Amino acid sequence: MKKKISLLCTIMIAAAFAAAQDTTSVATAGLSPAEQSIAEARTAISEKPAEYAGYNLLAAALVRRAQETSSVAFYSQAEDVVKKSLELAPNNFDGEKVQVSILLGEHQYQAALEGAKALNQRMPDDVMVYGLLTDANVALGNYKDAEDSAQWMLNLRPGNLPALIRAAGLRELFGENEGSYELVQLAYQSTPPTDIPARAALLAQMGRLRFASGNIDSDEKLFQQALTVSPGDPAALGNLAELRIAQKRYPEAVTLLQQRYRSVPRPANLYRLAEAIQLAGQESEAKKAFTEFERQALQESDKKDNANRELIFYYADHAQQPAKALKIAQLEFAWRRDVYTLDAYGWALHVNGQDAEASKQINAALAVGIRDAKFFLHAGEISAKLGDRTAAERYFQQSAQLNGAESEQARNLLASLTEKSER
Amino acid sequence: MKNLKSIVALAMSLFMLVPASLFASSHREAPITALDRSADVTDWYAFVSYDHPDKVTFILNVDPLLEPANGPNYFPFDDNVVYQMLVDNNQDGIPDVTFQFRFTTQIRNPNLFTGFVGGIAGIPPITSLHNGTGSEGLSLRQTYTVTMIKNGVSTVLNNGQTLYAVPSNVGPLTMPNYPELFNEGIRNLTGGFRVWAGTADDPFFIDLGAFFDSVNFRHGTGPVLTSAIDTDDTHNYAPDAVGGYNVNSIVLEVPIQMLTADGKIHPASDKRAVIGTYGSTARHAMTVRSSPNPDVNSGSLQQVNREGNALINEAIIGTGFKDRFSMDFPIHDAQFANFVLDPVAAGVLSSLGVPVPPNPRTDLLILAQYEPPICPGCGAKDAGPVADLLRLNTGIPPTAVGSQKRLGFIAGDVAGYPNGRRPIDDVFDISLRAIEGILVDSTKFGLALGDGVNTKTEGFNNSFPYVMPANSGRNSVHTGPGQAGCTGQPGGICPTE
Repeated sequence: MKKKISLLCTIMIAAAFAAAQDTTSVATAGLSPAEQSIAEARTAISEKPAEYAGYNLLAAALVRRAQETSSVAFYSQAEDVVKKSLELAPNNFDGEKVQVSILLGEHQYQAALEGAKALNQRMPDDVMVYGLLTDANVALGNYKDAEDSAQWMLNLRPGNLPALIRAAGLRELFGENEGSYELVQLAYQSTPPTDIPARAALLAQMGRLRFASGNIDSDEKLFQQALTVSPGDPAALGNLAELRIAQKRYPEAVTLLQQRYRSVPRPANLYRLAEAIQLAGQESEAKKAFTEFERQALQESDKKDNANRELIFYYADHAQQPAKALKIAQLEFAWRRDVYTLDAYGWALHVNGQDAEASKQINAALAVGIRDAKFFLHAGEISAKLGDRTAAERYFQQSAQLNGAESEQARNLLASLTEKSER
Repeated sequence: MKNLKSIVALAMSLFMLVPASLFASSHREAPITALDRSADVTDWYAFVSYDHPDKVTFILNVDPLLEPANGPNYFPFDDNVVYQMLVDNNQDGIPDVTFQFRFTTQIRNPNLFTGFVGGIAGIPPITSLHNGTGSEGLSLRQTYTVTMIKNGVSTVLNNGQTLYAVPSNVGPLTMPNYPELFNEGIRNLTGGFRVWAGTADDPFFIDLGAFFDSVNFRHGTGPVLTSAIDTDDTHNYAPDAVGGYNVNSIVLEVPIQMLTADGKIHPASDKRAVIGTYGSTARHAMTVRSSPNPDVNSGSLQQVNREGNALINEAIIGTGFKDRFSMDFPIHDAQFANFVLDPVAAGVLSSLGVPVPPNPRTDLLILAQYEPPICPGCGAKDAGPVADLLRLNTGIPPTAVGSQKRLGFIAGDVAGYPNGRRPIDDVFDISLRAIEGILVDSTKFGLALGDGVNTKTEGFNNSFPYVMPANSGRNSVHTGPGQAGCTGQPGGICPTE
């Protein structure tokens, strides 16, 4: 969820930034919004190479392109471009804003937070800076601060798209899935039809929220709609694959996830593909995929933008190497405390037999309010290991009531617990 | 209307570029209120009632520069805005007594092409706000409620009365006796309150155009006024740019006992006599957390705009901070303290050759804390937090009409601004002189700064509700350069140069 919200947020910020610039129109047929903005910015720069504003526009467009394609190479390009802008006009506000959004894209959350705070002090009326603050705080697990920033976005410009997206993401984290859906729907209705990537991403998000709430018919339609609007949209492919997994239509899920991985060859996408292949019963293919995933994930493990969460679950659930899972989890936990990191860390502790500490971490994650089938499953298993059958049953029930790949597992564990108690 | 918007847009762009233009009035001072004019607090007044020294009158003006002829709907209050008057009575900067006003709009005759019609097509002229004869043409009609919140208890003060807002003055055919309608809006509420709400003549006065033109005063009128002009409180020497425009006003008279912490009236020397006040507007907020009540899509009200002292947001707060200032609470104003201690406006005056004291300008904290001379009973520990509140010593009796000075407190009229604010107070000139440093040393920093607009073109109403009836849509004119309206100038014609 966090990456999807992050994508939406960045698209909205980049779009808002681009819209704020006064640029010369260029031929844009067949280009994505980011590509259009890149073309426009390059034209502006060629016309006025000594003007810093064109470089800001180009850097923002590159950030958006990075999000459209999930290609981190665009962040590097954006860094170079914004550097030029700041050389021409040191401390220019828009340049520094783009710089912070690059840090966010590169998952340098602490640095992004500090940068955003400094910008906020310089100009507290800038709505987008509150968006940067929100994003950094969400990623770091500072949810109260994130809520405050998002609320200021809503207050300063009621109904603005970037604020709606962030508020929707926070509502989901706080367990208000219906309320989150309402805001995403509102954002979708307010998004120009020409902004195809944003509309597809919002549709996919609406479908995912419906899916999580158990409304399978509705989410199927929304995913298909997203894929019609933007064929091959990675978020829609991934979400539809999750639906197929829940429906036990594993081969279809594999096809969808292969398509997504071809489009966005990131280790995190490969991990889910490997799991789907395994669920489809292709053990040998799955093993190959997992091995390749581990190789790729380890290569970026010491970077901030990594697949460490997936690596933790790989070592814990598939490779039976709990010590490695915990080592990676400790590294992540040292620099971020968002709910997903807490869940992964808690699970790594659990598979290493440290259930008391594991319980503390998973409960801290659930205390934020999130309603996630996987979290509840983990909480149930940890509680069961600690001998708290009542809590375990409650968590398994909560997981079973939701839609997700883990819901089925929770149902089985709940049945098993009930069976034991009847004996 | 489009022209007006263009002017405002131009003004806003000047706002961004020229610090001097920060000396504007409170009309559309922040980007957020430029987009939400019905929630824009233009001016806030608080003073001991002229005829009732045991009562305080508050005036909350919203929705700026209303063109009297701008039908068909004119400018009703916004049903979705909660208009508020807030009072701190224990020097902690937090409101202890709040009055809220909520309006409800009714369209009584949906087939009419305008909100107001009379004296034509068999519809009688509008002569009454109430149901029955004379109100048939009052198609767009607003009622309102007044709620007092004190000690956590909300009390609706209407006490069964239906309160009607007085509409704009459409013209003599439709509303042949507008003053009667105006007076019909005055209502007594139980508990000694009086209230009036409606469209009125905007009592603010200023040469807006000269200031927005990078402090380009009219020849002979500024920035340093001649002694003759400076001492003339009854004539204008430059055009009052707000002349002929209306504003939406809410006026409430409150017994002092309802405002003080202990429910008593105190002498001026007693700190318990001093209250800190501000006016604000709020809307139901879209909140990050889902609302427990989806019908209003909010759990709480979000402040849109506020005003305590005149011109603080305009003359002191930086442009990148204005929205945050507007939407935050006075108790959080420490974050803006540097703008007071190092005011950009002082630098602008200095650039014009006006001597100003060095920073930090702690003398200006009198506007943001409880201090003598407004609060002679306050010691250092009573100063309270930095908070933009209009402080009023309720123990200081009102100055008799005729003896009031436009320069208020600094001219020895201690019942005037910044001890509260009356419509007559020339807050623009007073603020200029405060920034100049008159509170530090009136000899060294006492040039008679001003814009040459010393009074209100339409005059003042010296009795409740203290605002003048709205200007006529058909017959009113505005005051501009080369036009009549500057009675201090030869022939009454306003200067162009």
